[in-house]
Amino acid sequence: MALSNSPAAATRPARSGGFTSRTLAPYLFLAPFLLLFIAFIVAPLVYAFYISLYRDTLVGGRQFAGAASYVKVMGDAKFWGGVWNLVLFGIVQMPIMLGLALLFAIVLDRGQVYAKGVFRLGFFLPYAVPSVIATIIWGYLYGPSFGPFTQMAKAFNLPAPNFLSPGAMIFSLANIVTWEYVGYNMVIYYAALKAIPSDLAEAARVEGASPWQFARLIQLPLLWPAILLTIIFSINGTLQLFNEPYLMRFLARNTVNSSYTPNLYAYSLATSNQQYGYAAAVSFVLGIVIAGASYIFTLITNRRRPEQ
Amino acid sequence: MTATTDIATFEAAKRQPGERRRSRILLTLLLSLFLLYSFMPLVYLVLSATKTNGDLFTTFGFGFGTEFNLWQNLSDLLARDNGVFMRWMFNSLLYSTVAGLGAAILATAAGYALAKFKFVGRNLLFALVLGAVMIPQTALVVPTFLLLALSGLSDNPLGVILPSMISPIGVYLMRVYIDQGVDNELLDAARIDGAGEFVIFRAIVLPLVAPGMVTVALLSFVGTWNNYFLPLIVLRSPEYQPITVGLATWYQLAQQGGGGGQVLFSIIITGALVSIIPVIVVFLLLQRFWQGGLTAGAIK
Amino acid sequence: MTKIFNPLGRTMHRRDFLKVAGASVVVVGLPAAVRAAEPVKVLVWSWVPDLQLQVDMFNAAHPDIKIELVNAGQGDPEYQAVRAGLQAGSGLPDVVQIEYQHLESFRQVDAFADIGQYANAHKGEFPEATWKQVAKGDVVNAMPQDTGPMAMLYRKDIFEKQGITPPTTWAEFADAAKKIHAADPNVFITDALFSSGDWVTALLWPMGWKPVSRDGDKLVININDKISKDFGAYWQDLITAGVIETKPGFNNEWYTGLDTGRYATWLTAGWGPVFLTSFAKTSAGQWRAADLPQWDASKFATGNWGGSSLAVMKSTQHLPEAAEVAIWLCTDPEATKLYTTKQFFFPCTSALLSSPEWAGNKMDFYGGQPVNEVFAKSANAVTPFEWSPFQSFLYQSMSDEFGASIGGEGTLSDAFDRIQDAVVTYAKEQGFTVA
Repeated sequence: MALSNSPAAATRPARSGGFTSRTLAPYLFLAPFLLLFIAFIVAPLVYAFYISLYRDTLVGGRQFAGAASYVKVMGDAKFWGGVWNLVLFGIVQMPIMLGLALLFAIVLDRGQVYAKGVFRLGFFLPYAVPSVIATIIWGYLYGPSFGPFTQMAKAFNLPAPNFLSPGAMIFSLANIVTWEYVGYNMVIYYAALKAIPSDLAEAARVEGASPWQFARLIQLPLLWPAILLTIIFSINGTLQLFNEPYLMRFLARNTVNSSYTPNLYAYSLATSNQQYGYAAAVSFVLGIVIAGASYIFTLITNRRRPEQ
Repeated sequence: MTATTDIATFEAAKRQPGERRRSRILLTLLLSLFLLYSFMPLVYLVLSATKTNGDLFTTFGFGFGTEFNLWQNLSDLLARDNGVFMRWMFNSLLYSTVAGLGAAILATAAGYALAKFKFVGRNLLFALVLGAVMIPQTALVVPTFLLLALSGLSDNPLGVILPSMISPIGVYLMRVYIDQGVDNELLDAARIDGAGEFVIFRAIVLPLVAPGMVTVALLSFVGTWNNYFLPLIVLRSPEYQPITVGLATWYQLAQQGGGGGQVLFSIIITGALVSIIPVIVVFLLLQRFWQGGLTAGAIK
Repeated sequence: MTKIFNPLGRTMHRRDFLKVAGASVVVVGLPAAVRAAEPVKVLVWSWVPDLQLQVDMFNAAHPDIKIELVNAGQGDPEYQAVRAGLQAGSGLPDVVQIEYQHLESFRQVDAFADIGQYANAHKGEFPEATWKQVAKGDVVNAMPQDTGPMAMLYRKDIFEKQGITPPTTWAEFADAAKKIHAADPNVFITDALFSSGDWVTALLWPMGWKPVSRDGDKLVININDKISKDFGAYWQDLITAGVIETKPGFNNEWYTGLDTGRYATWLTAGWGPVFLTSFAKTSAGQWRAADLPQWDASKFATGNWGGSSLAVMKSTQHLPEAAEVAIWLCTDPEATKLYTTKQFFFPCTSALLSSPEWAGNKMDFYGGQPVNEVFAKSANAVTPFEWSPFQSFLYQSMSDEFGASIGGEGTLSDAFDRIQDAVVTYAKEQGFTVA
C-alpha cells in the first residue's frame, strides 16, 4: 500500500492539550458520530417503538395497546400484500440491474470498448438524478395517451403501450429503479475489479485461460464481497420502496393503491388514517422483514460461496 | 492501471487484430444501447425545458416545440414565488455540502476508532451501525419530527443537516479503508515518539485516507441532495426547503384542482433540469477520487 | 370595519395583575408617541397564491393587528403540520386555511375556537349551505373563503359535430356518452375522476347521500345505501360500455386530453372555468358552460367540489384579533372582489355571486358566454352536506376501492360495500359508537 511520506510527523514531539490517552482515544473519536447516531437514529427508533405500543383513536386519544399492533400487522393482508408486491418486484428487477451492472463493469474493466470514460460517466449519471425527478420524467414518458412512446407507436400504427396498467405497473416501476441504480452498482463492481492484483491476469494468460474463464473462475469469486454488498443494499432498497410508487400515484391512482408497498402503507396509515402507533408497528415489522431477508440471503450464499 | 493493461495484453495474445476490433465494435454498440437508455429521460428533460406549457402536451416528446422557450422558462422559474427556486437551490447546496463534509469527518473518525483500536464491544457497535441501514425511513422520520418539535427544532435546517451527517456506509468504508491503508507500524512509531492521538489522526491518518473521505463526502452529498422524505416532514417553511421538496410541492400543486391550482409544468421541468446540474458538476470534479475510495471498500 | 376589541381592555383580561402592573410602569415612563400598543401579530397559514395582497390591505387598514402570512404547504402537508402541532402542543398558527371537507375531522379533536360572537353577524352574507359548512347552530369555527359549486363545461364543437344537444339529465348524459364514443373511439364524453374521492362525493352530494352523520353521540354510517348503489350502477354501465375513461385527473395526460378533445365534457366546480383557461390553449373558444346534469329534471340540486375556509385555532392567544382576521379576509368587499380577479377564486359571498360585474363577465375562452352565471346558479342550489370526522380516511378508502373495481375486482357498487365495511371497522377502532 502506498503511504504518504510524513517522517516529520513521526518525530514531532508530544503536544499538550490534545487527548493523548490511548485508551480514551477510540471513544473520543467515535463520540461525534455516536452522538448524532444516538440522537437521530436510536432515539427516534426508541420513540417509534414506544409509539407502536399505543393506539391512537380519534375518540379516546392515545391508549396503551401493548403488542396488539404487532399482532395486527402479522395478520394484515394489506401489509403482506405490499411485501409480496416487492418480492415480485425484486425477483425481476434485482438480477437484471445487478447483472447488467456486472456485465458493464467487466467489459469496461477489460477496456474492450471505445470511449470507456464516456460510458462510465454516462451510466452513472442517472444516479445523480433524484428519484423524485426521475419518477416525474418517467411518468411523462409513460403517458398512455400522449407520452412519446405512445406517439411513436401511433406514428407506426402500432397499438399504444400501456405502462400504467395494473399488469405493467410493477415492471414500469422496476424500470425506473433499474435506470436509476445500474450505474451506481456498476461503479462499485468496477472499483472492486480494479483492486484485483494484476499478476492474477498474467498468471491466467500463462495458463491459457480464455477471457470468460478468467471472468468466471477468478474475477467473480474475488468480486463476491462487492456483489454480496450490493445485493444486501438492493434487498434493503427494494423492500423500502416509497418515492417511485408514491409519485406514480398521481398518474395511476387506480393501480397504485395506498398499500402498494409497505412503506406507502405506513405513510398512509400515519397521514390519512391518523394511526401513528400502528404505522410505527408496520415500519418495525418491515425492518424485521428486511433484516430477515438479508440474513437468510447471506446464509444461503455463504454455503454456496464459490471457492477461489 | 496495470490490471486493465494486463487483461488487454492478455486479450491481445489470444486474438487476431481483426477479431479484436470486431468484438470491440460490437461491445461498444451494446453499451451504447444502454447509454441511450440512460440518457433518454435526460434528453427528454432537456428538450421539454425548451418548450412552452402548451407545446409540452401537444408536440412530440423527443423533438423540439414550436418555439424555443428555454430562456423564458428559466426566467419564469426564477421569478416564481418571489425567486424561491434559487433559495431552494441554495438550501440544497448548503445542506448537502455541510452534511457531506460532516459525514466524511465523522465517518473517518469513527472508522479510525473501529479499525485501529481494540475496545470492548467494538464488533457489536460496528454491526449495530451497519444494521441502521436497514431501518425503514418511515419508521424514523415521523418520530424524528415529533422529537424535533418537542425540542423546538422543527422547521430548522439543522433537523435535516444533522441526520444527514450520519453515514453508516461511510463508517464501513472508512473502517475498511483505514484498516488496509494505514500501517500500524507508522502509528506505533508516532506514539513512541510521543505524538498525541489527535495529532496522529490529523497528521498521519487523514492525508492517507483522503480519497476515501472524498468518497464518503460525495455519497453523503448526493444522498442529502436527493433526500426527499426527511426534509418533507421536518421542514415547514418554503424558504428552508431543499430542491427535492420544493419541486415536488410544485408538482403536487400542479396535480390538484380545488381552487387556486395553477399549471406549472414547464416551470417544474425546467426546475428539474437546473436542479441536476450541480450534482453532475460535483461528480465531474470528484470522479477521480471516488473510484479510489470505493476500491478499498469492496475488498474484504 | 368596526374595531372589535380595545387593546387596554384585552390586556386587563389576558394578563395577570403583576404583568399589568409592570406594563403600566413601563407605559407611564414612555413618551406618548411610543405608548401606542404594539400591533398584535396574527399568524395565518394559507396556501392561497398571492394572498399577501389581501394581507397587505388588511395590515394597512388595521394598525393594531399585523398578519404574518406563511405558506405551510397545500392541503395534506399543511394538515399534517397542524396535527403535529396539536400533538406537540406548540407551533400552531392563529388562523389556518382548511378545506370544508376536513373541518369536521379537526372539530373531532377540538382544534378550533368558537368565533360565533364575532362571526354570526355575517351569517346573512353567504348562501345557507355555505354557512352550514362552517357553523353548527351558533357555534362558528371558520369563515368561508371560496367554494366550488358544480356544473358542466363542455366542448360545443364536439357536440355540434355529432349533432347532440348538451345533456341536461343523467339519462341524456349516458345516451350522449354512447353516441360520442361510437362516432369516434378516441373521444370520450368525460374522464370520470373516480380516483378523486372529492369529485365522486360532489356528484353524490345532490342525490342526498349521507355517508357518515352524527346522531347524538353515535355515528351513522350509510355509505352503501340505495343512493350510492344507483350511482354506482349508472357509472358502471358507462365503464363497462367503454364510453368513459376513469383515469386520474390533474396530470399532464389529462390536461392534454381536455385540450385536444379527447374528453367532451368536464364535470367541474366554480373554479374550473378559469383553471381550464390556464392550460387548454388550442381549444380556446370551443368550451361552454351548462348546468350539471340532473337526476330529476324537476328538482334542481347541485353539490360542491373544493373550496376552503379560514379557521381559528383554539390555541390562539389572540382570539378577537384572529377572528377579525378570518372575518375580514372573507367578507371585506374589496378583498373578496380581489379574490375573483387576482386569485381567480369562485366567490362565496352572496354579494359577489349576484353582482352583475362578476356574474356577467363574458369570457372569450367560452365564446363570450358569461359562465359565472351558470356556476352562481349552482351555488344557490347546493344542498347541505355533512362531512365525516375522518374524511381523509374515507377519501382514501374510496380511491382504493374504486380503483380496485375499475381494475376488475367487482363493480362500483361492490366498491361501496367494501368502503362501508372498511369505514365501519375503522370507526369502531377509533372508538366511535356506530349506530
